[in-house]
Amino acid sequence: MALNRDEYGFDAPVELGHPIRSSLPDGHPTGPEVGDRLPDFKLPDATGRIIDFHADRDQSKSVVVFYRSAVW
Amino acid sequence: MLAEFGKKQNIPYMLLSDIDSNVIKSYGILNDQVVPEDGFFYGIPYPGVYVTDEDGKVVAKYFHGTYKKRDSAEMLIAAATGDIAIDEEAPVAVGGDEDIKLTATIHGGSGNLRQGIVREILVRFELAEGLHIYGAPVPDGMVATEVTVDGPPGLIVEAPVLPPTEPLTLAGTGVTLQVWSGVVDIRVPIYAASELATEVAPLDRESVSVEVTVRYQACDHETCLLPSTEKFTLEAALDVTEVPAIPIHQGHGQREGNYDGTPHWKRLLERKPPSRRPI
Repeated sequence: MALNRDEYGFDAPVELGHPIRSSLPDGHPTGPEVGDRLPDFKLPDATGRIIDFHADRDQSKSVVVFYRSAVW
Repeated sequence: MLAEFGKKQNIPYMLLSDIDSNVIKSYGILNDQVVPEDGFFYGIPYPGVYVTDEDGKVVAKYFHGTYKKRDSAEMLIAAATGDIAIDEEAPVAVGGDEDIKLTATIHGGSGNLRQGIVREILVRFELAEGLHIYGAPVPDGMVATEVTVDGPPGLIVEAPVLPPTEPLTLAGTGVTLQVWSGVVDIRVPIYAASELATEVAPLDRESVSVEVTVRYQACDHETCLLPSTEKFTLEAALDVTEVPAIPIHQGHGQREGNYDGTPHWKRLLERKPPSRRPI
């Protein structure tokens, strides 16, 4: 599988050049910066209940993770 | 689907569904190299993490060039709490003396190394009252604090992350130096690239040695001790990584998920098949 290794040194069971192996280009924006308040959002949770981020968070600190897939 | 995934994978935190990637787009992190012709793959973000304080303000964020590089949960917690807890299960080595206590350990994952997951070599100084060590640059003849980490091929070592220094002006000369005192944590991010631990093959060994070299010079307001160099060896266990339980990932000797994504994978292929690069 060494032929599948990308320029960062990582393997994957998908050939190089497939769009899902694409990485963040240099200089691409990455959203809110340190010091910014996270923009509010409303999204359903796993039960379908709508979560209003800042309201539901109330006074808690938070860790917000953007991930790619729960399936693949 | 997320409910079943969360239950089968024992996920205690909230999973949200951004079906049309509206939040991903509003944050500006849509992976625009994946296009609608890529079917169900379209809409994914460049993965990353934001840690906020009680007011919802970002105190730390983690985005990397490669989607395979992710930060340890312990690092996220340290960013949220402002405190680094030393894991008793992790490899640890101690040095120094009663006035300058030195601890070297691996922060994150109890010190194990898995493909792409960032850990930190933590070097903690506990300096007796009145003593300080130096940040660069220092005048000729003095030694700034330096931590270097060496590991096997495939271990990626990044630049040390240093805490803020405080200025100290020397009475005699009026020169101002940058110093640390009290408890000083120096963190060196490290992670395993696939040469060391890969998701497409079983591990070829159980652990690797990581050498940590610490150079420093401690002084009080009158005298300086001789510069010191201390070396520590930490044995880091290698571990396989977590992969989804679908055919493309199975059979490579990794830790396969409890959630069987195959039915959902098949549904995705039927409803939104990729036309540009068929799987």
